[in-house]
Amino acid sequence: MMPLIVETLAGVFTPPFRRKEFFQQLYFVGNKSLFIIVFCVSFAAVVTILESSFHMKLVIQNDSMVPGFAALLILRELGAVVTALLLTSRVGAGYASEVGSMKITEQVDALKMLGIDPINFLVVPRFLACVLGGMMLTIIANMTCILSAMAVSQSVLGYTPAMFMTSMHRFVQFQDIIFATIKGGCFGAVIPLVACYYGLRCESGAEGVGRATTNTVVVASIAIIVIDFILSYTFSYLY
Amino acid sequence: MNAVASVVQEIGGTLLFLQSILRTMFYKRIKIHEVFEQIWKVTVDSFLNTSMAGFFVGAIMTVQFTMQMKEFGALGYLGGLATSGTFREVGPLLIAFMLSGKVGAFTSAELGTMRVTEQIDAVRCLGADPLQEIIVPRFIGIIISSFFLLGAGLIMSVFGGMLMGQVFAGVNYEEYLRHVPTIVSPISIINGLVKCGVFAFVLATICTYKGYTTTGGAKGVGRSVVATAVATMICIVVMDWLTSFIGESMLQMIQGYR
Repeated sequence: MMPLIVETLAGVFTPPFRRKEFFQQLYFVGNKSLFIIVFCVSFAAVVTILESSFHMKLVIQNDSMVPGFAALLILRELGAVVTALLLTSRVGAGYASEVGSMKITEQVDALKMLGIDPINFLVVPRFLACVLGGMMLTIIANMTCILSAMAVSQSVLGYTPAMFMTSMHRFVQFQDIIFATIKGGCFGAVIPLVACYYGLRCESGAEGVGRATTNTVVVASIAIIVIDFILSYTFSYLY
Repeated sequence: MNAVASVVQEIGGTLLFLQSILRTMFYKRIKIHEVFEQIWKVTVDSFLNTSMAGFFVGAIMTVQFTMQMKEFGALGYLGGLATSGTFREVGPLLIAFMLSGKVGAFTSAELGTMRVTEQIDAVRCLGADPLQEIIVPRFIGIIISSFFLLGAGLIMSVFGGMLMGQVFAGVNYEEYLRHVPTIVSPISIINGLVKCGVFAFVLATICTYKGYTTTGGAKGVGRSVVATAVATMICIVVMDWLTSFIGESMLQMIQGYR
């Protein structure tokens, strides 16, 4: 795993820069996943705000601070993690099966024979596209989360959007969104590295592709949860 | 328009497949031995992953709750709140995501490989019903073993929370656990278990369907694994909302809860 990471990071700064590949991958990561992420994340936000209202009522008998609380939870944790896990299943598994089938049909060897470095051609554009796409999708997901939480708090809990915004303003600071974006970028960096690592080591046959894809999803999800823990712990000293 | 039609077609295909699974399950003899083998295999394969994920989920929840609780000076409630939040909502959701990656993708890759290498046709050729021999044991096995896995993940999440409470918030173990029984009610635990059951049911249906209908060689297997991972995650999130919603309205009907 380590050599791949080092080579990818070196490849980011070494020419040739594959601009066309990069934009293709960015389209795949950003546009093609946007609908799924927005859809899922808005459901997750609805559940989050209802659950936090339940807990607030349980502990301090009124839920007047729920909007701020839920917005904080969404911005610091939920938006970035759910987006990253969805990206893992869609983009990560997609990359693993794509690179894996390229490997077993000997397209990677063909690239090498043509004098093209497979890491420069395959991994680096995907890496950059995922980092950038992860950041942008995290911001969009956070925005969607807060909008749908606002809608639910209007219709179920009885807070108008103005009350929601006021309550949110007391808790949320601008650095929260910056930290969320950093988290999104880190998660985005993990996904293509894991996917390409397993894809490039794919064994031949239908079984090999399946195993590479499964391993990618598992390892990337665990890595995302662990990295999230580390980042949360680190950021908690910076607030 | 085309996309909508294909989504509807997928949903219909999955439901028809579910119908034939259930029919095979109730009208034909269940292979008990196969079922136990599947339960053993799935549980042992994923045990480490799920419990590790659970540990970190508990730790993350405690860190987040600590920062918010400190503003109110209510650190005494930290343990109860973090445990309750994890048990009711975040734990089942994140651990089900892990399961969908591990169990769902694995099963669909295995079944897809069987389909592509014509092993399923071979089973049919030998005069056996592939649904009865291959699909139903996996279906039941996934549902039963996911309860074990989720239970393990949730227990580990309590340990993760305790550790972080000690290290990060300075709340010792007794203090952390003191408010757990007052805040985590039996209803919360039943809520988590019901959610877990629903997620496992959806997961088992989708991954067996996608694996069983794989076409087109090694590429097809990769495609069906990706489709499984995406579809299970979407369905888990939607089902999460649906179970919360239905459970809440049922509790309100029964006893005026809340």
